[in-house]
Amino acid sequence: MSTTTTTTSNKPSQPPSPPPPQSSQKAEEEENIEIVSDDNDSDFSSIDSEIPFTNPPSHPFPSNPIMIDSLFTTPPPILDPFPTQTSILQSETIDEVLPFLTAQSQQPDLFTYNDFGVPSLRREAHISFLRSSLGRLPGRFVAADASRPWFLYWCLSGLAMLGEDVREYRDAVRETARSMQNPTGGFGGGGGQLSHLATTYAVVLAIALVGGEETYEVIDRRGMWRWLGGLKQRDGGFEVCKGGEEDIRGAYCAAVIITLLDLPLDLTPDSPAYKPDDPSFNLLTGVADYVRRCQTYEGGISGQPSAEAHGAYAFCALGCLALLGHPAKVIPEYLNLPSLLSWLSSRQYAPEGGFSGRTNKLVDGCYSHWVGACFPLIEAALASSSSSSGSSQPAANDSLFSREGLIRYILCCCQDQGKRGGLRDKPSKMSDAYHTCYVLSGLSAGMHQWVLDEDGEGEGEPGWMVLPYLEGEQVFEGRDRVRAVHPVYVIPQGAVRGMKGYFRGKGGF
Amino acid sequence: MPPKGKAAQKPKAGSSAAATKSPAATPAAPLSTKSTKATPDQQQPQSSTVAEKSKHNFTLCHPFEDLTGKNSLSALPTQADQLVWFASRLVTRLPVRSIGAKGQKDLWKTVNDHSLPPRGFNIRKHQKRQQQHKTADSRGRDIGEYSTKEWELRQEKRVTLSCLQLQSQRFRELRDRQKRGFVDSQTGDTVLVTDSEYLEEKQRRREMDRLKKELYGTQGMGRQGKLALDPEWDDVVPIVVEDPENALAAIAYSPDYAEAMSYLRAVMNSKEYSPRCLKLTEYIINLNPAHYTVWLFRAANIFALKLPILDEITWLNQIALENLKNYQIWHHRHLLVENYYPSISSDPAALSAFAASEREFLTQILAEDTKNYHVWSYRSWLVGKLGTWFNPEELKSTEDLIDQDVRNNSAWSHRFYLVFSDPENCTPGDKYAATEADPKVPGQIVDREVGYAEGKIRLAPQNQSGWNYLRGVLVKGGRELKSVQSFAEEFVMGLGEEGEGGEGEGTGEEVKSSHALDLLAEIYKEQGEKQKADLCLRRLVEKWDRIRGGYWQWRRDGLGLGEVAA
Repeated sequence: MSTTTTTTSNKPSQPPSPPPPQSSQKAEEEENIEIVSDDNDSDFSSIDSEIPFTNPPSHPFPSNPIMIDSLFTTPPPILDPFPTQTSILQSETIDEVLPFLTAQSQQPDLFTYNDFGVPSLRREAHISFLRSSLGRLPGRFVAADASRPWFLYWCLSGLAMLGEDVREYRDAVRETARSMQNPTGGFGGGGGQLSHLATTYAVVLAIALVGGEETYEVIDRRGMWRWLGGLKQRDGGFEVCKGGEEDIRGAYCAAVIITLLDLPLDLTPDSPAYKPDDPSFNLLTGVADYVRRCQTYEGGISGQPSAEAHGAYAFCALGCLALLGHPAKVIPEYLNLPSLLSWLSSRQYAPEGGFSGRTNKLVDGCYSHWVGACFPLIEAALASSSSSSGSSQPAANDSLFSREGLIRYILCCCQDQGKRGGLRDKPSKMSDAYHTCYVLSGLSAGMHQWVLDEDGEGEGEPGWMVLPYLEGEQVFEGRDRVRAVHPVYVIPQGAVRGMKGYFRGKGGF
Repeated sequence: MPPKGKAAQKPKAGSSAAATKSPAATPAAPLSTKSTKATPDQQQPQSSTVAEKSKHNFTLCHPFEDLTGKNSLSALPTQADQLVWFASRLVTRLPVRSIGAKGQKDLWKTVNDHSLPPRGFNIRKHQKRQQQHKTADSRGRDIGEYSTKEWELRQEKRVTLSCLQLQSQRFRELRDRQKRGFVDSQTGDTVLVTDSEYLEEKQRRREMDRLKKELYGTQGMGRQGKLALDPEWDDVVPIVVEDPENALAAIAYSPDYAEAMSYLRAVMNSKEYSPRCLKLTEYIINLNPAHYTVWLFRAANIFALKLPILDEITWLNQIALENLKNYQIWHHRHLLVENYYPSISSDPAALSAFAASEREFLTQILAEDTKNYHVWSYRSWLVGKLGTWFNPEELKSTEDLIDQDVRNNSAWSHRFYLVFSDPENCTPGDKYAATEADPKVPGQIVDREVGYAEGKIRLAPQNQSGWNYLRGVLVKGGRELKSVQSFAEEFVMGLGEEGEGGEGEGTGEEVKSSHALDLLAEIYKEQGEKQKADLCLRRLVEKWDRIRGGYWQWRRDGLGLGEVAA
């Protein structure tokens, strides 16, 4: 009897009977392995050429006149006759994007335009691109050695927005995260690297994205809490790593980590911010004030006090504040909302339609997220503040930015048109995982609207409700809608709920 | 090995001694045992490869093997031959104990009488040697295929390698003695490894590595990277970390990088701060300048070793110019300045010299990338650290950049910081937010800055940098926006006059700056002229800045005019 068992286990499929059905877990593992090994090629670009590109059957190039508002086909109405380096680059960029916006730069076999002159989302190509980027990367990616956790987050978040089920990466995320965790708390860029707020943020979000209790349990929350205490500064901000710089990115990442992991807020005496005479000074004390100090005379937010307003930091500031309390209360309390909104709105250019990161800088697809994703937070703040506190700022009846412009820029200019797939800064740039993630997030912000539930979802937390944005003309095809992501955590709401619920349920470490 | 009998050791000295040295010297021998008494000068047949020669020698040494084939006695021609063969087999296999000294002696006598070459006795050894000859060289070529010339060259390399290994061993011993504080018995000095000896050893190891690779290829070599070859790193056991098998986004590191990281882990683990660690950080930074951990470790080394900060800054300048987009560099510089500042804070001359040299470098790097965010962030921080807001050179160099490109918003932003964070001109600290009025700002500063902004706006009215600056100055200085109303109106003519069939009519509206309309809308609103404000906003929605239509509409809603007819 026992010998028979041994033989069968040595030979998984017995000749006479059909192969035994594999358990679902096994199947998942196998699929996972296959995906990873698919990308095991040492040359990244050669994988790209091997990825078969499948497109929905393309209907012929639209025969009826394409409906594109002249806003997106002609240079802006006011142009100064005073060329400088900035204006020259700006007009070159307009020249670069116009053929894409007017459906003139197309490879008909790869790009399908609708009647609005907007191509469809190359979902499959972008999925392939992101899956490749999760695989083994060739040696020239060495500059990314300290940001490997970002690759996890960018790719998994991007895949989730494209509607993919990322749970198949659970085991791999678990193992990868373990190899990046330090015994003193937090995650570094890889084995032997110091824990860093940005890499920790990325790993925690990657874990939330794939979910699963076993995955959540990889995180050493006690170590994380102690480590965060060591980064907290007396001025309210956080160093990004021990001895590293202090900036608003650090504050946002810390707020995300603390709230997602439901960490206690107390500081231990070994924290540089510990105040023996003020026991109420905790991890989140003074963070909002730090954010306030980063608003500049332009209305936007800088990375650290006294620097230039920058789109990426605007999102960090708003996201951070939205985690510290009800956005409608906290955001107007610490920031000059009208000047911030004015600055944010100025980031959108025509004819490009996309956002720039700073005054007089060029559009870049990634600001679709950094700037575009600020609007749901601003709109939520305005909607509630006007109804409750009778503030002078009216609620936004309509969208505060041009959704059509943003969607046009993304679908026309940011999609790689070749076999590579992925999304990019602008047509002259190569796609990469970073841009793919944040352009998709911007696309999601453009396609949805968020409503903040006054009562919250319990635990004093605001409840975000998402709806497709349906006002006015929809220039994109319904099948091209991407999944909505939480306006602060930038991962699907279910992933946020899963992780928060798990740790809240634990009570203590 | 044959027993140490005299006869056994040197059966026919001349030939066998030569044979062990080089097979080429082994004489040819016919089958007959009598004639195996060969002489050294006898010519051997032509054999071009090592394998052929080896085979040839084997035949010489084992006159019967070819015939016996599978050790069959019957193949030998005579009984005497059979006896000799038998004796030769037994002599190396039977222990003396089993046959007694006499038996052994008889056996040897038989063998010696026939002058069989002793090396032929041990067939197994021969077979083993043949196996070795079959191995391939580093290029995958069978060593058996070597010509004798090539084979000799290879042997020479092996000898060289052995010598180098011996010398290397001697070096290690010497260093060990130095470590233990040994005293040279002859000179009475403590044993010391000199720098040139280190250097020699380093070169020696490179040579050894080269020879090893040439002789044996790279397989199974283990430690062979640059650091492993460096005698300076002998005492460090690198911490190798392999990514888990299914790791995501794993990078196929170059062997150099992987090795360097494993040494970095080891020295960081042991908290070693030393010149060699500093060198290691430089090496890694060259391979990957975006590695935040190595930068922090570098700073820790510099501070622990109390190295001159200005030297490090000089070194850093070059790295910064080569890596314009890297931001770790700027935090490193920040740490250096934090460390350096206390030593010059009370010396105005040193402080101003340092500020000047920093400014010179910042000007140089901004010329490469005029809007580099990290450079500008560092610059504003540095101004605050050194307290150089009011330094005319600082303001001048910022102005130069605005003159070069009036749309360089980073330069505008820096100007705002210089003027409105100067403790002379404002309330120190962060009592007032950037978007709030500060009562301490002197009127003449506001006048000066308004004038500056207006002058620049006239050059390029649609340049938002100037307008943002102007508005920022007015707000900070507590001025009413209407103080620039007439200035803003310069850029807007005949607003709303375009009308239905506006085009072609002589009095159409002319807007040279949408930002002027924006500001005017706010000015009119402040003054209660809501209709005028609404007109500005409406024209922005309709024509002058349509992409921001949603925002302008929201501003219209804020005027409280109710439903506005389109």
